[in-house]
Amino acid sequence: MNVPRLFHFTSFLREFPAWPRWGLRKQQLSLPSIPLFQAARRRNHLDLLSLDEAELKEQFVRGDGPGGQATNKTNNCVVLKHIPSGIVVKCHQTRSVEKNRKIAREILQEKVDLFYKGEDSDVFKEKKALEKKKQEKKRRAKENLERKKLFKEMQQLDKK
Amino acid sequence: MRYLARPLLRRWLSLSPQHVPGQLSPSEGGVLSPKQSSLRQSCSARPGLVTATDMVNHWQKVFETNGIPEARESSQYIVSFVLGAKTFQSLNSKSLCTPLTEMQQEQIQQLSRKRLERMPVQYVLGEWDFQDLTLKMRPPVFIPRPETEDLVSLVVEEESQKCANSGLSIPVPVPHPVILEIGCGSGAIALSLLCKLPQSQVIAVDKEKAAVDLTRENAHRLQLQERIHIIHQDVSHSSAKQFLLWGPIDVIVSNPPYVFHEDMASLDAEILRYEDLDALDGGDDGMSVIKTILALAPSLLKDSGSVFLEVDPRHPNMVEHWLHAHPDLLLTLRAIHKDFCGKPRFLHIQKQSR
Repeated sequence: MNVPRLFHFTSFLREFPAWPRWGLRKQQLSLPSIPLFQAARRRNHLDLLSLDEAELKEQFVRGDGPGGQATNKTNNCVVLKHIPSGIVVKCHQTRSVEKNRKIAREILQEKVDLFYKGEDSDVFKEKKALEKKKQEKKRRAKENLERKKLFKEMQQLDKK
Repeated sequence: MRYLARPLLRRWLSLSPQHVPGQLSPSEGGVLSPKQSSLRQSCSARPGLVTATDMVNHWQKVFETNGIPEARESSQYIVSFVLGAKTFQSLNSKSLCTPLTEMQQEQIQQLSRKRLERMPVQYVLGEWDFQDLTLKMRPPVFIPRPETEDLVSLVVEEESQKCANSGLSIPVPVPHPVILEIGCGSGAIALSLLCKLPQSQVIAVDKEKAAVDLTRENAHRLQLQERIHIIHQDVSHSSAKQFLLWGPIDVIVSNPPYVFHEDMASLDAEILRYEDLDALDGGDDGMSVIKTILALAPSLLKDSGSVFLEVDPRHPNMVEHWLHAHPDLLLTLRAIHKDFCGKPRFLHIQKQSR
């Protein structure tokens, strides 16, 4: 399968921080009886492969401390790995851990879908359509500019 | 206290007036002291345009030198805040490369000075996020911890399942759960619940006036003041009937002080210096307020009503034993839920129906 290299996964992976002082909390996300997280089956209008929580590994920079009230750490970064494909997403877009976890899953879902489906992925198709639109817009703008230039030149000629 | 900021900062931040729009030059009545303006002139040869990334790197070094924990995160949050963003990662590449104005740099410096005093970032910025809400933060009112977001989700899930399980073929009006939060602090839990359960009403109680005031302020900012009743009261010295004015309670929720007293001294300076220690200290076994809540619960709750508590990971067993020792309360520990770090953190206790 041809995995297109259209996307730069690193756009979401800033440099990996050195976490020697905190250590890493590797958590196998076990599904509690109440599913606090359900990776969406359909993300907006896109038809994407659903993520299985059992195949995900989540890390938080929390250190080994007691957590809860006893600490006040502000690092809410979530690192989410899809084990079968090895794709990793790092999300620190908001100041809420819960929201970052949700967003991380959405981003990961897109990347995983792209990974397995390649050009058949809705993610790929949507991006391609956007690129095309952009190119069209550029082309039309260029054309307009040239037309105006020509018009001006002709006006100059008329004056003489 | 070692403080590298001033000389380094002055040099670093000196900009030649023509490069930065909107910056006052001395002739325009700016308030530069002679020393500052000479520094500026000496650096005008250096086209020192300061970007957000530069500022983050600079203040990270300053914080590290001064032993401030989470040096990079603190610096990122402060710079992002001044640029109008929540986190550094959410800034687009354009913002990262745009030179900062004099005013922005000044603001960053002012905020960073507070952080150098070990003030928690949330108090430095005066705000923080909890789930979908941005709430005002003010010392010494307890800062909501990220784990507590899951406590809210548990309550929401329980109330949602109640509606689903009604299972009647005839349509029933959507229930209006009455929720009591004990120890509301900044209002994080109460206001989140009001947002996620649009039919609910919340009674929020706190023994500290500062917390009551802050919750009220946040409620107004979020336009939720009509659905929340905020009471200034110490539950240890209360009778149940004060909280029954809106009928029996469906859910009691609390993030009570649960730190073991012996652990208080080892808390970070950020907490010890700025937060209300009464919001943390749960007594010798960390359970003094937990017990108060559970003792009060049966006279407040409807049958099959629930109590949701955030606790220390050592508490689940202790609470279970305590409930067995007090069977007259008719409360059962129904479930223990883990937080996102895998620690047992949340208790779901239910009142048995008679």
